[in-house]
Amino acid sequence: MSKFLLSHPVTFYEGINACFIIDLDMKKIIETENLSFYYGKRQILDHISVGFREHAISAITGPSGSGKSTFLMTINRLWEELNGAKMSGRVSIFLDHEKLDIYDRGVSLSWLRRKVGMVFQIPNPLPMSIYKNLVLPLQMAGFKKKEYLRSKVETVLKQAFLWSEVKDRLPDDARTLSGGQQQRLCIARAMILEPAILLLDEPTSSLDEKAAREIETLLFSLKKHCSLLMVSHDQAQVKRVADEVLELVDGRISELFTTPSSIRSTKSGIGHFRP
Amino acid sequence: MTRLFDLLLYAFTWLCGLILVGAFGTLVVFLLINGLLALDFELIFGSTAIGDALFLKRVVIDGLLPAIVGTCLLIIIALGTALPLGLGAGIYLAEYAGKISKSFFSLIFDLLAGVPSIVIGLFGFSLTLYLHKHFTSIMPCLLISGLALGLLVLPYLIRSTQTALEELPTTLRLTAAALGADQAATLRFVLLPQAVSGIFSGIILAIGRAAEDTAVIMLTGVVATAGIPRSLFSNYEALPFYIYYTASQFRNQQELQRGFGAALILLILCALLFTLAGLVRKKVSKRLMAK
Repeated sequence: MSKFLLSHPVTFYEGINACFIIDLDMKKIIETENLSFYYGKRQILDHISVGFREHAISAITGPSGSGKSTFLMTINRLWEELNGAKMSGRVSIFLDHEKLDIYDRGVSLSWLRRKVGMVFQIPNPLPMSIYKNLVLPLQMAGFKKKEYLRSKVETVLKQAFLWSEVKDRLPDDARTLSGGQQQRLCIARAMILEPAILLLDEPTSSLDEKAAREIETLLFSLKKHCSLLMVSHDQAQVKRVADEVLELVDGRISELFTTPSSIRSTKSGIGHFRP
Repeated sequence: MTRLFDLLLYAFTWLCGLILVGAFGTLVVFLLINGLLALDFELIFGSTAIGDALFLKRVVIDGLLPAIVGTCLLIIIALGTALPLGLGAGIYLAEYAGKISKSFFSLIFDLLAGVPSIVIGLFGFSLTLYLHKHFTSIMPCLLISGLALGLLVLPYLIRSTQTALEELPTTLRLTAAALGADQAATLRFVLLPQAVSGIFSGIILAIGRAAEDTAVIMLTGVVATAGIPRSLFSNYEALPFYIYYTASQFRNQQELQRGFGAALILLILCALLFTLAGLVRKKVSKRLMAK
């Protein structure tokens, strides 16, 4: 039987107070311990210790400059591509029932980033064909068989609800797609390597509402394939899609630390939000 | 006031463009007027039958065919040696070099770019003398000229490759990294395909420079009459040298006109090579973009 805990009361930006049920038995996929991060002398993250559930949509929210995107980049070590940054602490992921410190010397960056996919704020299809955009990660991982590549492309495009829209224009330049289509293509591209975790950095912030809703629907459907960790500053979106929420303020975990059940109950109007 | 400034700036830049186009147009028209009259098969093949000349049955003594072949071979040798080195050094500077080594290498390559071609010719000549001391059969020849020209065009290739890579948006690198690409894969699959246009601009510049330079080849193996070179170690003829030689030694108007004819052929040859490079660039880009 699962154990639950009621969280501290939390105030949303809109002035809504809430507390959430924390499921103590939930299976973690990501765990950080005392994670601190610096750009030069500026501290961006301050001793963050937190865990995120497997096969859930976990949202990270907070005001601009609170370290949300930086936090995301510590999970796939993408910050190492930037100059002048350093971090301390530990980040672990759980794969095949094993806890793995991703900053361990033995962990290959390429392997890690194939297991932990990422989608950026602004859709970033590479300047090449739709098909090439999708097969590129596979080719870089050493897959060459054309039939396999084709079938994978079809599978992920179907997963991303994009197949019917682009199946006849796979050789077209990916940049000719609409913003929403480009973002779904980027999600499909990240999914083609079958990552265990998908990081999403405000994936709908540059899209119109219709395209944003399409992405949200897509995220829901992706939960069964992987665990999603999404940065979002849109509280309404967070309430709609997230199973658990972490709020960062000035690089620290604020009072808000929530659970799936609470968010769901909020959506259904039953729950734990106290106006 | 701002509007007036905008207008003046627009007019000035437009005028600059117009002056350049005008200057180039004048040059081409001048060459056409003077060279077209001399441009015929006789200018290229002399008194040798075209078939005999093309199949090397008879040596072309009084035509430009050996000079055209010599110029093409020079370009091939120069680019063949400089291209891998230039690409490699450019990639190193753009992608791998640390701050200190980047400054150091950049300084050296800038110095190399600033070395006058006559000095590079002199270096080639000294190299020939040195090699001749140890291997008496080595004399000024096509290979030495090609290598010296390779050295001359190297900075263009290095800089164009480096700039083409450095100008690519950081998002490309981040995207590739996020997809699990290591540095080599990022370079091969993402950066180089996007930098092809810039790299080919450098190649086109290098072709032009290798085709037109006279100072280097004058000291390293070009002669007035040699026929089509039989090996890399032969003397050879080249169009720029023929133009220089004719312009400085002509005895009558007809000879000078042949010089203009040679200049026109050199211009056409360069235009053909540029077009070829452009087509290759298009094909490479298309192949890299393809499904």
